[in-house]
Amino acid sequence: MDRILYTENLDAGYSGQAVIRNVNIDLHKGEIISLIGPNGSGKSTILKTLCGQLPAVRGNVFLKGKNLADVKEAELAKTMSLLMTGKVDPELMTCMDVISIGRYPYTGLMGKLSEYDRDVIRESMRMANVEDLGDRYFDQISDGQKQRVLLARAICQEPEVLIMDEPTSFLDIKHKLELLQILLKLVKEKNVAVIVSLHEIELAEKIADQVVCIRDGIAEPARSAGDVFVRENICRLFEINEAQYDWLYKGK
Amino acid sequence: MNRTKRYTAGFLILAAAVLLLLYLNLNIGSVKVSPAEILDILVSGDATDTNGSIILSIRMPRMLSALILGGALAVSGFLLQTFFANPIAGPFVLGISSGSKLVLALVMISCMTAGRAISSAAMIGAAFIGALASMLVILLISGRVKKMSVLVICGVMIGYICSAVTDFVVSFADDSNIVNLHNWSMGSFSGMNWSNVRTMAIVGGVTLFLTFLLSKPMSAYQLGDTYAANVGVNLKVFRFELIMLSSILSALVTAFAGPVSFVGIAVPHIMRGIFKTARPHVMIPGCFLGGAAFCLFCDLVARTMFAPTELNLSSVTAVFGAPVVIWTMLKRSGGRR
Repeated sequence: MDRILYTENLDAGYSGQAVIRNVNIDLHKGEIISLIGPNGSGKSTILKTLCGQLPAVRGNVFLKGKNLADVKEAELAKTMSLLMTGKVDPELMTCMDVISIGRYPYTGLMGKLSEYDRDVIRESMRMANVEDLGDRYFDQISDGQKQRVLLARAICQEPEVLIMDEPTSFLDIKHKLELLQILLKLVKEKNVAVIVSLHEIELAEKIADQVVCIRDGIAEPARSAGDVFVRENICRLFEINEAQYDWLYKGK
Repeated sequence: MNRTKRYTAGFLILAAAVLLLLYLNLNIGSVKVSPAEILDILVSGDATDTNGSIILSIRMPRMLSALILGGALAVSGFLLQTFFANPIAGPFVLGISSGSKLVLALVMISCMTAGRAISSAAMIGAAFIGALASMLVILLISGRVKKMSVLVICGVMIGYICSAVTDFVVSFADDSNIVNLHNWSMGSFSGMNWSNVRTMAIVGGVTLFLTFLLSKPMSAYQLGDTYAANVGVNLKVFRFELIMLSSILSALVTAFAGPVSFVGIAVPHIMRGIFKTARPHVMIPGCFLGGAAFCLFCDLVARTMFAPTELNLSSVTAVFGAPVVIWTMLKRSGGRR
């Protein structure tokens, strides 16, 4: 398989201070890695470092065999796209305006969209199931629709790697499932590699090929979903007791 | 297609308004000059008789100044609103105009005291330094506090401090030119000559052109830092360019016309209402035309309403601009459009 994004003993953090140590990620095309861990454990910090918006405190991130620090902005933008939790509320931007920002790395000085750009946008909107939202104002649609529009934006950037930071956190269950199903389709059809942090461990279990657990400033080695989602491990990771786990996950 | 129609209609209306106001600014005044005579004077370029000299040496430069500086001020406001993602940002409320005013007053007074004339370029430079100084303080504050209301209050306070110091300096400077200085410090397009107009056309033209070239990164920036960086915007460079361009534009206005209130904040809102978009490709030229029309109108009111007494330009722009800001705020807090 094609190795696309990997790290070597990466420490991630802010202004030289490591928040999280020993991040070893090895992502291949068409694969989904999920980061799970308690709030504030440093999932977002890792993701920001992986997408180059935060410099590595120690160690390196490699994108297609090249050190991320040496990858040019324009090239990075054509390889990697993002979907974050943080709500954006741009005023008077239509969904079409928002989505077409994804074509930024491909357009000229004034950002004029070519016929090809428009085709890619249409295709992305179809994949993200937002075809009918193009003319609506972004701040007037529901949270679930917003996340799908932002996903369409990420898709039309034609990325090889998609980085998502808790993309489902604000959504109700229907929209959570819709978003993740679109994601799975994207991985299957376009062979995109995905790193996604998720709060909902039951969803992480369903979609992830590898799972990285993060706790106490340490990123554990990636394991298969089957190895991670066992009672002892989940209890240890989220500091819940076994009775709580059973109450939540064992049937009636 | 609907949007294209809206843009076309919007630009046609604005262009018509600007043309009409240009005509009225030539036509109306203590001396009324008939349309036929205006045309005659414009074609012949003859400034020897009284009416010719009124039109060509007084009204034309003044009208063109209102056009260029009004447009520049509105665009500067749009840039600041984009930069801070804050709808009530503008060069006047953030204290940037007042910073320019202070440094410029200091430079002008020291030049007068030394008995030296001050060139247009030096005036723009001084205003630019003042604008940057205020901007720096605002940036330091915005780095600490993310709340937009705090930012605006700090800006208003900076404005007051700078104005107070300016008044202080002006009161203690002894020179017969103080009267001029005082007029200028309240905002005015009067007393412009052709050399002023040439300078502002060149500086304003180049800056506005460069601003328009930033439309693409600006549209990505409207989606927030993270997404802008993700599509390849170099945030540091882009922010630097935005600050420089908006400071030059507002400094240009202050250098020639003094601090003019509410144009930078109100006009972008009116333009959003007309065009119903945030796209910089539309908003930048839209704000320029809107700001030009707004200032042409306000200047016309300022000099004709109570003629021969001339009103302060800033008083007139406030009367028409401030309600727009209040209206916008009410509309926003009353739920989404």
